[in-house]
Amino acid sequence: MTGLLAATREIEIGHRVRGNLLGIDVNIDTIISTLIAGSLVLILGFVARNYLTRDPDDHVPSKIQLLWEVVVHQVNKQVEDNLGRVHPYVAPLAISLFFFILISNWMELLPTKLNSSTHLTPAPTADTNLTYALAAVAMVSVWVYGIKQKGLGGYFRHFLEPYPILLPLNILEELVKPITLALRLFGNIFAGGIMLALIAIMPWWGLPAANFAWKAFDMLIGVIQAFIFALLTVLYFAMAGAGHGDGHGDEHGEGDHKDQQDKDQLDPKAAPEPAH
Amino acid sequence: MSIATRALVQAAEEGEGTSNFLIPDGTFWFELAAFGLLFFVLARYIIPPINRAMVRRQEAIRQQFAELDEAKAAANASEAEFKAQIADARHEAARIRKEAQDQGNAIIAEMRQQAQGEAARIVENAHTQIEADRQQAAISLRSEVGALATTLAGRIVGESLEEPARQSRVVERFLAELEATPEAGSATN
Repeated sequence: MTGLLAATREIEIGHRVRGNLLGIDVNIDTIISTLIAGSLVLILGFVARNYLTRDPDDHVPSKIQLLWEVVVHQVNKQVEDNLGRVHPYVAPLAISLFFFILISNWMELLPTKLNSSTHLTPAPTADTNLTYALAAVAMVSVWVYGIKQKGLGGYFRHFLEPYPILLPLNILEELVKPITLALRLFGNIFAGGIMLALIAIMPWWGLPAANFAWKAFDMLIGVIQAFIFALLTVLYFAMAGAGHGDGHGDEHGEGDHKDQQDKDQLDPKAAPEPAH
Repeated sequence: MSIATRALVQAAEEGEGTSNFLIPDGTFWFELAAFGLLFFVLARYIIPPINRAMVRRQEAIRQQFAELDEAKAAANASEAEFKAQIADARHEAARIRKEAQDQGNAIIAEMRQQAQGEAARIVENAHTQIEADRQQAAISLRSEVGALATTLAGRIVGESLEEPARQSRVVERFLAELEATPEAGSATN
């Protein structure tokens, strides 16, 4: 156990391979794995597209096409449910986010870890730079969408709802959204990386089982996190477009009405009771 | 202290010295550009064709189902028509059979009537013939038996009975007696 503890000191958490790109100091490893992940997504996409355009009358989809179609269909459905239609900007954004985050998350699982601290392909999503960038794209798009839907005044008025006193909270909420989006994704994948580093220093007899078990679980986490990011983005779009509590207001109205009816039904029974 | 805690503590200690990994640096802009490019390419070149293919396939499937329904309806219609025709044919056959039976019955009845008529006619003819024969026999009896009897009686009595008027009177009387005798016999009976 002490040996294991000693070994943990060698794990460098958050250690990045630094480099200079266009005169800016950057995390070269993150950028390389981003390029790999992005290329993979594009290759998958173009292969699927190639299958599509090969024979337009052949309606039987290929497997890779099915993979894309499942995601595209699900996201389209989600967008339609929340926004009322398949928005030509929101749906592709959510699809891109999902695929890119998914492949990025899975980069961590490639067995390219040379030793406990050097991983050739760390998940780019385990670097806040990427997650902040994704969250920034998502939230700026959400704000622009909200302003377009409701007008400048209409959009900013919703910061005063339901009560003007909640203005600071509403502003805080808008600012927290991108940060939570970014850090949730980062934290999950980063933690996965730490787990892999810890497993790597395990004794040989425990390593394969633990490695397999964690990587299988980590794959699932990768899917879930990609899904959550895309879904939350769609939901933020829906919230920005629908206005604050429009839908909720109706629901409450119905609920109150129903409560009132229930009371009305109960009242005649309640009234005779004192007579007994 | 668990391994994970120790690792985190170590991470925090290292982070103080160099850079905090929660704070973005220049990498952010490259990542932004990378995702922007990816998003652009996907949204422009990959997702629309996939959407179009899905819509096309849905249309194709819908159309095929519509055609299937149509074909099914047509098949059902022709089956119904076929059944109706079969039923018609059965009715027709039954009608023809009944007609033939009726006709047969009518023919039999007619033939029977005809045969009965024929039989009656034959019987009638026979009766007529018999009557004629009888009358003829009676006539010949009158003429011949009378002559024979007269001759015989004349011989026995010796009295000439050659006079035709007398002869005929005797024969008439004889015959009358002859006819009266069985009637009297039957009457007495």
